[in-house]
Amino acid sequence: MQSKLYIFAVGDKMKTRIRELRKERKISQEELALAVGTTRQTITSIECGKYTASLVLAYKISHYFGLTIEEVFDFSDIEI
Amino acid sequence: MEQYKEKIKRRIMLFSVGVLGAAILCIYDFFVMRNLEMESMRPTMVVGFQFGLILGIGMLSLIQVIKLSKIIKDDKKLKILHNKEHDERLILIRSKSGMPMLLITSVLMIIVAIVYGHFNTTVFITLVLAAMIQLLIGLIVKLYCMKTM
Repeated sequence: MQSKLYIFAVGDKMKTRIRELRKERKISQEELALAVGTTRQTITSIECGKYTASLVLAYKISHYFGLTIEEVFDFSDIEI
Repeated sequence: MEQYKEKIKRRIMLFSVGVLGAAILCIYDFFVMRNLEMESMRPTMVVGFQFGLILGIGMLSLIQVIKLSKIIKDDKKLKILHNKEHDERLILIRSKSGMPMLLITSVLMIIVAIVYGHFNTTVFITLVLAAMIQLLIGLIVKLYCMKTM
């Protein structure tokens, strides 16, 4: 199994790769928001780590990029 | 999205009824109620407030009718509005700021204030002020949540 190294954007709550993935694919926040059924402001908040997306929204965003939730969102800080 | 389009159409119809109702009430208020108040020597403040409130509701309804009529023609704008209404973060912010309960209680307080205002001006002022402060607090909390979330 090939292991991948991801660099997550640092935020207050949860680190995500959304900004990085958007930049790679040249997608604006508005386009992503429209595709996943949310607002541009919510995408900004998720990217900044101010807001933690729900499981459904996280799935929609990951599915949009063709990746798994773990590849887009970093859960390493979450204690089990 | 077709279902949502139908919902918006119903909303346009409701707002149109609101505009019509407000126009009728404004005319009634202006010509009938004002004369009645003058004759009975009651304070005109309540009637003035009532008139202003109805006028405001009418104007807001008219703005909504124009805005929604434009949105319904454009699929992209319709999707943006749908997303805005169903956005989980905004729903959370609204619930944190006490909406829609705060809005319902404020509207009820204003209705009671208008009805009771015809008998006692002090109660009218108190209730209207309480409703306004309640709405203002809700708005401040909403703005704070929007900044922090």
